[in-house]
Amino acid sequence: MASERVVGGLTCAEVLAHLGDFLDGELAPEVLTQVRAHVAGCGACERFGGAYAAAVTALRATEREAALDAEQIASIVASAASAASAAKAG
Amino acid sequence: MQGLEQASDHDLIALVARGDHAGFAAFAALVRRHGPSIRRLARALTDDVAADDVLQEAMVDAFRGAAGFRGEGSVRGWLFALARNRAVRHRASARRAEIPDTPLLQLGVEAGYGERPERAAERLEQRDALSVGLARLPPEEREILLLRDVEGLSGEEAAEVLGLALPAMKSRLHRARLRLMAALRETGGSDGE
Repeated sequence: MASERVVGGLTCAEVLAHLGDFLDGELAPEVLTQVRAHVAGCGACERFGGAYAAAVTALRATEREAALDAEQIASIVASAASAASAAKAG
Repeated sequence: MQGLEQASDHDLIALVARGDHAGFAAFAALVRRHGPSIRRLARALTDDVAADDVLQEAMVDAFRGAAGFRGEGSVRGWLFALARNRAVRHRASARRAEIPDTPLLQLGVEAGYGERPERAAERLEQRDALSVGLARLPPEEREILLLRDVEGLSGEEAAEVLGLALPAMKSRLHRARLRLMAALRETGGSDGE
């Protein structure tokens, strides 16, 4: 990694460190401007940032877990009822 | 029962706290609503067999603790925290692996910086690639990716569930994402080169 190369006022290593906050929209405005300027002038960081964003987008698009079946829900409710009864008795 | 399915989490917890017939119905609605996500987190932290036990124990903990729920955070975050506590107990006997303290620059290189980083994204187009990649991560990194990126918890919620300060949560999340990219590249073999 060309970690010492400065583009837009930031090195590639600094951009790597900011990448998570950049994607999550949590960078301070002045840092955001610097990161954008760096990425616009650094092909390696632009490509890497795109791949990082694609991986996170895939995570966010993960399908919902399958619903619990009725038997499992009934079993959990029965366990709670047992716990409640035990608490009253105890 | 349709009313309960549409009730807010906080309203359901208030009903559960009553401990009467309506409370059990509200509890079942909570289990139905959040059970799948809790089970997925439990599976990420333990295994398929223990995950159902963790789910059951955490939900019973929620039932017992409903009256004490103060309502300051989200019910979902509270349930995740209960499940996490139960999962940790299940793992207590197993040797706990530390998260590798890899320098960030090295993680970036392993994730593909400068050498076809898009391979991780290409790999994601293959069926089951994401679950295979996640399985290669330490449980603590799987968990943060699930909470923040898959389940969509806010940064503050995720930090609270994990008992971390917000900056520490962000750092762990970023490193976990990079390690996932590296894992995806590794599991992709040499295809596409």
